Amino acid sequence: MANDVTATEKPEQNPVLWVVRPMATAARQFAKSLFRPSTIVYPYERLEDPKFRDRLEVASGKPLGVGAVWDNYRGVHALNIATCISCNLCAFSCPDICIEMVTVPGGDPKHPKKCPAIDYGKCSYCGFCSDACPEGCLTMTTRYELSTPKRAEMVYSPEKLYDVFRSKLPMNPIRLARPANEDAILLDPPLCIGCNACARDCPTQCITMLDIPKPESKPGEKLPRRIWKEPVVNDSDCVRCGTCISVCPKECLFWGTHK
Amino acid sequence: MSTVTLYSVSYDIASLILHILGFIIPPANAALTNGNVITGLAVLVFGVILLAASMLNTILLIWWERKLLGRIMDRRGAMHVGYAGLLQNFADGFKLFRKTTVQPREADALGFFSGPTAYMVTSFLLFGILPISSGWNSGILPLSLLLALAIFSFAPLFIFVSAWSSNNKYSLMGGMRSAAQMIAYEVPLLLAVVAVVIVAGSFDLTTIVYEQQNYWFWGPLFVALIVFVAGMLAEMERIPFDLPEAEAELVEGWNTEYGGMLFAFFMLADYLRALVGSILVVLLFLGGWTMPSWVPSAATSFPLAGIFWFMVKTYIVFGLFVWVRASLPRVRTDQLLRVGWNRMIPLSLLSVFLAALLVTVKCVWPFGCIPSAGT
Repeated sequence: MANDVTATEKPEQNPVLWVVRPMATAARQFAKSLFRPSTIVYPYERLEDPKFRDRLEVASGKPLGVGAVWDNYRGVHALNIATCISCNLCAFSCPDICIEMVTVPGGDPKHPKKCPAIDYGKCSYCGFCSDACPEGCLTMTTRYELSTPKRAEMVYSPEKLYDVFRSKLPMNPIRLARPANEDAILLDPPLCIGCNACARDCPTQCITMLDIPKPESKPGEKLPRRIWKEPVVNDSDCVRCGTCISVCPKECLFWGTHK
Repeated sequence: MSTVTLYSVSYDIASLILHILGFIIPPANAALTNGNVITGLAVLVFGVILLAASMLNTILLIWWERKLLGRIMDRRGAMHVGYAGLLQNFADGFKLFRKTTVQPREADALGFFSGPTAYMVTSFLLFGILPISSGWNSGILPLSLLLALAIFSFAPLFIFVSAWSSNNKYSLMGGMRSAAQMIAYEVPLLLAVVAVVIVAGSFDLTTIVYEQQNYWFWGPLFVALIVFVAGMLAEMERIPFDLPEAEAELVEGWNTEYGGMLFAFFMLADYLRALVGSILVVLLFLGGWTMPSWVPSAATSFPLAGIFWFMVKTYIVFGLFVWVRASLPRVRTDQLLRVGWNRMIPLSLLSVFLAALLVTVKCVWPFGCIPSAGT
């Protein structure tokens, strides 16, 4: 009846509109929520609880996979330390520079095992790291609870991420396609100095240094000071992590396609 | 009379304390068990009991409002500290207690600190006047209703003092609004009280309660009840009449500059005044601690039944205030003043007329007869 409220209406001239109807609405709402308000007492109850299942599915319009979030939710990472090859690709691909490779026990002195530690204070949950992971050992789970009283606790060590892995949370199944197989590590031979850095740091040990013939030295020409070896990449073992490219002191390794 | 009153209890406590002290320190025994000393300590104990009771009730009242408001808004209110959030307000109080009090550089220190204190003290003073049950009162005050209303209307003065000395334009605006609002609503409020006084024939709150033994005044004096509740809402500065501390436009109004314990003072005093407003409604219109005769005597004869039923009524009345708060939007200043002067005063005059009519005809059909004079 009184939907045509104008700004000039005087409240005291229409007590039904200004007092009675709002109070009736409030009373109706009170009666409705007296025993079961819509809110969920979150730390004590959560949407994953079976008793809220119907409410969730009604809200989302379709049945959910697991828990309160969809399977492809990008939450806290899970890291399988056992299969991590310390390739550093996750840290490379991170747009927020929130991944730091920290040493974990398990490597030999020459090749210390390094696994990602993630600072969730910076992380934007883009998922690039798990997309880039060649071994599929860094994935994203549906865990969404990160609140902590201390900022330092926002940094998840590899061990903590491994705990997430062991908790068997559903992993995010969606990962972008790997780089095409024809992408390979190529060498610019004249620049190489045979320093062995690439072979030393390769996480899958797929680079071997092969001897190359030392050219004849012509009179008046000075040969470059180098070790007469060149890296050869075993493409079937290579995970395309790019560690060799990044450690090369002469920038003679690059991404390319075999002719 | 041999009934246990609040004062007799505090006298016994004081006497016990002093006698034990005198037993421990024999030389001072005679001085300590002197009647005047006991009376003095009894008054102190009386005040402490009142203070503790009013603080406890105020904090419970805030809890009650939070829970009720939450339910009306389809949520639960405070939940974490204590059972169903009962201790949440204590936690909030401790938090405020630990905070630094920041005084604006240009603020006037005297007014800045004495304003909240005086506001708080006068609100506590109110609680001491009101009778909660036949035993819980502070003696015979023939004009206790007038005294209560007089102290109740002190508040805008202190609000204005603190607003002025905050040296903040929003605070000052809030203080001025508070004063304007008080003048607009004090008149109908007092006229509504006059209607009650005409029917009860006394300014003593205890007498007013006992005059309601046949019927509670809210029935025949319904118009006065409406005016009184609306006026009380304005006096307590609660929504929809919370213009002096309108959050959206005035940044909390007159308590903008207050933080920490001084803010807690304002907050507590506000709810203390809300408690006193609810208590006044119960005393004047809902029969105080008495219950109608059709209530079984088992429900009214257990120990402290008077206080229990009084508190139940008070919390229900405060629930009404919360209901109003949850429903109505804040009115504009012109609407506030127009409702106050144009509607409330005629209504309150009508209620005075109805009260006079009631006294003349003595008996009204659904309610019964007013008690004969002299009771």
